[in-house]
Amino acid sequence: MTGPESRLEPPIPLPDVVSAPFWNWTASGVLALARCADCRQWDHPPQERCRFCGGPIVFEPVSGRGTIFSFIVNRRQFVPGHPPPRVIALVELEEQAGLRLTGLVGAEPERVTIGSAVVASLAPVGASGYMAPVFDLA
Amino acid sequence: MGGSAEVLPGFLNGMTVAIAGIGRTSFSRSSGRTTKAMAVEACRDALADAGLDAASVDGMTTFQVNDSAHPMEVAWGLGVTELAWANSQYAGGNAVAEQIAMAAAMIEAGHCRATLVYRSLNGRSGHRFGTVEGPMQVEGDMQFDAPSGFLVPPQWFAMWARRHQSVYGTTSEDLGAIAITQRNHAGPNDHAVRREPLTMDDYLAGRFVAEPLRVFDCTSEVDGAVAILLVGEPLVADIRSTPVWLVGSAGSQGCSGWSAWDDPTQMYARTAGPRIWNRTGLRPTDMQIACMYDCFTYTVMATMEGYGFCEPGQVGAFFAEGRATYGGDVVVNPHGGLLSEGYIHGLNHHYEAALQLRGQAGVRQVAGADLALVSAGGGPYGGANVYSRTKP
Repeated sequence: MTGPESRLEPPIPLPDVVSAPFWNWTASGVLALARCADCRQWDHPPQERCRFCGGPIVFEPVSGRGTIFSFIVNRRQFVPGHPPPRVIALVELEEQAGLRLTGLVGAEPERVTIGSAVVASLAPVGASGYMAPVFDLA
Repeated sequence: MGGSAEVLPGFLNGMTVAIAGIGRTSFSRSSGRTTKAMAVEACRDALADAGLDAASVDGMTTFQVNDSAHPMEVAWGLGVTELAWANSQYAGGNAVAEQIAMAAAMIEAGHCRATLVYRSLNGRSGHRFGTVEGPMQVEGDMQFDAPSGFLVPPQWFAMWARRHQSVYGTTSEDLGAIAITQRNHAGPNDHAVRREPLTMDDYLAGRFVAEPLRVFDCTSEVDGAVAILLVGEPLVADIRSTPVWLVGSAGSQGCSGWSAWDDPTQMYARTAGPRIWNRTGLRPTDMQIACMYDCFTYTVMATMEGYGFCEPGQVGAFFAEGRATYGGDVVVNPHGGLLSEGYIHGLNHHYEAALQLRGQAGVRQVAGADLALVSAGGGPYGGANVYSRTKP
């Protein structure tokens, strides 16, 4: 069985021209998401233009507060750098219904439930230099 | 045919295309063969089954995730020198029903007389979906899931299944009832890779992979190929097999991805289900067989609801009470499904449906099988076909 080799680094993002602002913001210590300058809707993952109205996109800081929409517990290792157990949540941010981010949760699996309030902070992605949101129970 | 027909005009309602031949290789964990060689064998098997020669084929289509063989190369291996239509779609199991619908549409539109749909993969020994062989740098929308390592199908389906459990109170035992029923069906199927009996204790003792999904909730990856030969009505008189008619097809390819989908307690079938029943004028209760796409048990659960076999939250009881097996309401995956027969990306479901509707399924024959629903795909995207033994 070809499994994820432990010597490999964890997966890292490959930014593009549309997503680069997200990673630039996280590198500076701020979680910011794409928002339409015209209709003011948030959207993630970002598009070049607003998917609701076609308007121009700006990145604006978000609170990082939200609730756990769903979560899983990795009980085997699927990718390098993520030994089990590991809780991964789909978090719905308070800024807008349906605005969701995935992220690791820094809590024992037994303490995590759907609906739990969480708050984001930023953590390094391995040794890559990228910073990404992770969540703690609020 | 039951139901109040609200049959839409046009596409696929002429009901003039039939499955004329079905073919496959053995399924194994290490074929030691090329995907092209297996595709050629499965296609040759389908042609022999129909009693047609390779020169009859003028269209070929497949779907793949960079792990198959191109139709022109497979055709050459079959002895075909030219095709009117050669198509290869970059897609997963969500495309299976529409692959067959497309191949049928090419016949109905007059572009082809006979089309082969095949899928060939070394799904266990070769390109295993989600396997990591080098440093991963993730592009596109999934780049945002790279930091948490949320990148492979068992995780996506587990995330959705957890939501269903929270909303409807469904349990591990509900998912287990699906896995156990299908394993029982695989017992007498000598083509299946997992035939040993499975008890609820076995299921619950199975290790978690991505909680709430256990190893027994996951498909059995295999190497192998399946081919389905479609012909138009003018050629049906020339085949030596019993034709199985394509009654209708419907798909719904959701565009949200896995994280933005509004309600993970439902899959694409919430749209494709009503669509196929409206299109065919049939109902779930008209089906004797349902080959439900089962990359994971939860896919069966959510799509049984979406296609209207069960109310939300009732699928576990439906299986546990024997309503999804012989003597029940509808036999779900009489071959054992992808969970137990093996993962030929769902094309083996269409093979099984044709075999059953011809009455050639041997010890696992479903009595009185006249209509079958075959679904394809999971999560946001998929579709289904209805096949009939009787010409509609």
